[in-house]
Amino acid sequence: MSSLYERIGGENAVNAAVELFYRYVLADGRIARFFDGVDMDQQIAKQKSFLTMAFGGPNKYTGLDMRNAHKSLVEKGLNDSHVDAVLENLSRTLRQLGVGEPEVKEVLGIANSVRDDVLNR
Amino acid sequence: MTEITYQDRPIELAPGETVLEALLRAGLEAPYSCRAGNCQTCLQRAVKGTPPEESQKGLTEAQKALGFFLPCICRPTSPLAIIPPDDAGAALEATVREITPLSHDVVRLRVETENFAYRPGQFLELIAAGDLKRHYSLASHPEEDTFLEMHIRLHPNGRMSRHVTETLDTGHKLHIAGPRGTCFYEGVDADQPLILIGAGTGLAPLWGVLRDALRQGHRGPIRLYHGARDRKGLYLVDELESLAKARGNVDYVPATLDSGGDVAALALEAEASRAAHSAFFLCGGENLVKRLKRDLFMSGASLKAIRSDAFTPAA
Repeated sequence: MSSLYERIGGENAVNAAVELFYRYVLADGRIARFFDGVDMDQQIAKQKSFLTMAFGGPNKYTGLDMRNAHKSLVEKGLNDSHVDAVLENLSRTLRQLGVGEPEVKEVLGIANSVRDDVLNR
Repeated sequence: MTEITYQDRPIELAPGETVLEALLRAGLEAPYSCRAGNCQTCLQRAVKGTPPEESQKGLTEAQKALGFFLPCICRPTSPLAIIPPDDAGAALEATVREITPLSHDVVRLRVETENFAYRPGQFLELIAAGDLKRHYSLASHPEEDTFLEMHIRLHPNGRMSRHVTETLDTGHKLHIAGPRGTCFYEGVDADQPLILIGAGTGLAPLWGVLRDALRQGHRGPIRLYHGARDRKGLYLVDELESLAKARGNVDYVPATLDSGGDVAALALEAEASRAAHSAFFLCGGENLVKRLKRDLFMSGASLKAIRSDAFTPAA
């Protein structure tokens, strides 16, 4: 059985997904404000890092960076509903790219597993 | 064993070690985050030697051309001399060759120096005197011009403005450092539309990029949008109009606010529907650049196809 990352399509899949995902997120009125004033090139590199991890690709995730990166946003009101919105956009991205349902579920499971780190709980 | 240097400090790489691991082991405060070659937090630049291709994955062609790489996935097999990405290097002496007005509030400063390699559209730090330093984009072309050309916007009571108009003269010496920036013609497909959008002295890098694109044989359509507050704020108008006349693929679109022409709105309306296939250069104030970058990205342009340089006012 090949790994999730291989089944989705590896690095090419991440590259195909990252801009689509970022566009969905920026167009989503529920969460767009958290990205105000953010450097878009740096942000897309971070999204790529996140997607690689969520796709089961090579990563050295510790949770610490996720916590630090979102600390100031939690102070601005970031909560579970916003994480839900991001996951919705991720799911929409994957379906748009034709990723199979079992893989979508797996990816969303991994992405959801960092929820407590994101919300600094 | 491979040896690297970081800002002239020699560091030996242990077998199998990444550059990031070596930098950290040497006690340097190198930034990093994902350690998997994705987040680009650890970006550094090799000024001597060639970083392995795989350590440049995900970077823009302009960054690759300048030797940028990701230390966290870089296991070099030959020596590298590394500097931080925003290191402008040592200052060089330069001689003022020309100071001429381009419009009522923009002057052209041409200086000469030796051994200053750059790409048109990059910027340098102009050190006019002591602590009087500002960044300026380069409008000149290294293969066409023997001088470096900067366009300096005159601000009432601005220190650099007063220095340039009241003190500086032909033959005077000053210093420059750099070049820096990735806003130059690299990684553009010769047949794709090339869209240059700028306001005010944002025209300086665009003028350099435009001439470089033509020199490198760009065949696709080129549209240059230049915005100013009013008619007298436009400059290089004759040069741009004759270039547009001489070259079938070049269009020059001036836009002045007092006649209802907001350059960003104008360019967006014209370019949004074909944004996904175009290469963009955006130069001007921070608000203009941020707005255009976001809106063009949302219209389907890839972020990698959008090169930008936002000018920030001197503190």
